[in-house]
Amino acid sequence: MKNNKGYHIIILFCLCFLAVANVNAQSDWQVPVEANEKLSPFLFDDDMVLEGRVAYENSCTSCHGTPSQDDFTPMSPPPGDPASEPFQAQSDGSMFYKIKTGRGTMPKFADAFADDELWNIVAYIRSFNENYKQELPNMEGIVIPEYAMKLSFDENVDKLVVKVFAEELPQPEVSVSAYVMGTFGKHLLGKAQTNELGIAYVDVDPTLPGDEEGRVNVMVKATKGFARAKVEEHMVMAKATERHSAIEGRHIWSTDRMAPIWLKITFFVSVFGVWFALLFIVFGLRNIKKARKEA
Amino acid sequence: MNMANKTDKSRRRFLQKLGIAGASTVAGSALLLQGCSDSNKASGNKVKVLTADNKLVEVDVAHLKPGDKIQDLSYLQKRGREGIPGKKFVMVVDLAKCKNARKCMKACQSAHQLKPEMHHINVLEMEDPVKKTSYWMPKTCQHCDNPPCVSVCPVDATFKRQDGIVLIDNERCIGCRFCVAACPYSARTFNWTEPKNSDQYAEVTYDMELNVPQKKGTVTKCAFSADRLREGKLPYCVSACPNGVYYFGDQNEDLVTNGTTKKTVRLSHLLEENAAYTLMPELGTQPSVYYLPPREDKG
Repeated sequence: MKNNKGYHIIILFCLCFLAVANVNAQSDWQVPVEANEKLSPFLFDDDMVLEGRVAYENSCTSCHGTPSQDDFTPMSPPPGDPASEPFQAQSDGSMFYKIKTGRGTMPKFADAFADDELWNIVAYIRSFNENYKQELPNMEGIVIPEYAMKLSFDENVDKLVVKVFAEELPQPEVSVSAYVMGTFGKHLLGKAQTNELGIAYVDVDPTLPGDEEGRVNVMVKATKGFARAKVEEHMVMAKATERHSAIEGRHIWSTDRMAPIWLKITFFVSVFGVWFALLFIVFGLRNIKKARKEA
Repeated sequence: MNMANKTDKSRRRFLQKLGIAGASTVAGSALLLQGCSDSNKASGNKVKVLTADNKLVEVDVAHLKPGDKIQDLSYLQKRGREGIPGKKFVMVVDLAKCKNARKCMKACQSAHQLKPEMHHINVLEMEDPVKKTSYWMPKTCQHCDNPPCVSVCPVDATFKRQDGIVLIDNERCIGCRFCVAACPYSARTFNWTEPKNSDQYAEVTYDMELNVPQKKGTVTKCAFSADRLREGKLPYCVSACPNGVYYFGDQNEDLVTNGTTKKTVRLSHLLEENAAYTLMPELGTQPSVYYLPPREDKG
């Protein structure tokens, strides 16, 4: 009996230790001061949130669940819900650092995502916090250039040519991403950086189908720090494809309203033909009978 | 006197005619001008809609907003029969990702006024006889390009539209269930009893793209959420999936979008790289729903 009690005390002690260790594991993830104070070089917007969502759904949902649903995987230490208070109380820099470096069961994402993609994930996590206001660096004396873009398509090399200007001057080292707008979402064509002439080239798959003239809706974004621009254009750069109705020239209905004319004619001609033949025989027989009576 | 009367009459008549001609010219040109200025906006096709504060108003089709509840049955019927030009909708189901969350089924049943035992989409457990394992397979209407259900319908109640969607018009359906028997995928279900919450839907105008309100004694099936597609949104089941099982898109664009991650990929690449297949291809029904086989390494 006494022995049993001691056994219980040992189990209790172990459990307490585990709980404390768990709490510690969560709270003592020390982030270097410099990393903690790091601010995003991008302004969080809807596009970043959407891209962050794609990355999050692919890489984070399996443990952290859907933010604000509290459906994270029960693990030790618990991964937690990114929309919850302890997560949102951190600085942007701290989140960025933890996703990038990882620790223990939290994988390191430095190799999987580039810095701008990591900021997309931070932007997505922040989108669940209504009270969040993005902290911006001191912008005094810094002028954010206003970009303008010119799009063209080089059909010799199948490349989308993007020229980025600010006040007529070409802008080098601007990140350009080009998308084809589909019915339900945007398809990434490619990302590139502008050269010293302010030109970026993005590969276009020549098999991509466009409309009858080969037009597709293209969306191009240019970003460099807080400077950003977006253009949407309906331009010829894809394979011209004719779009056919799924029921064009087909008669899959069993009702006569949709039946082809040759079928209707054949039907009526054969029906009337049979009737005519029958009547011809009946009248013929009657005439024979009549003739016999007269004779 | 007589002569004077005559001239007076003719003058009056002349003035009258001139007046009428003038007035009609003014009115005609005003109408014409009005027509010119509005030609880009109005189509002249009026429908009745229910506004947010429950008022019935008549608006032009071109001025419809996505959230408007249209009350005009004939307009809804015409729109439902015609479909969306230039599109050919397809669905891709990634079996490796399905974990039987059944969120698709719930979203579908609540949107289409279905009882728990009635399914437009059903997640089935499939046994793999070779590996002695099982996997989950969501199954909807396959929206075949050669739909056997459509060929057997004696009253033209079920039909295929130009955008590839096979729909049912329950205003025409006589409940013969020929289509239920003809469908090799068992995609169709029959309203044997009064549909769920039928009293709440008593005043709702029938929209065949949503197939609501359901009617007792008629057949119902997956409509690829044609009402949502019209608004540029993904179907109910596709958006509800938490595991990224469904891709949905337009075959003409060769782009499909994942309902969970919202990632848009090339349809042809997705099908080719993952050895996609369709159900019962030997029947020649040519389904619009593709399956990516379950894999062991991903998921």
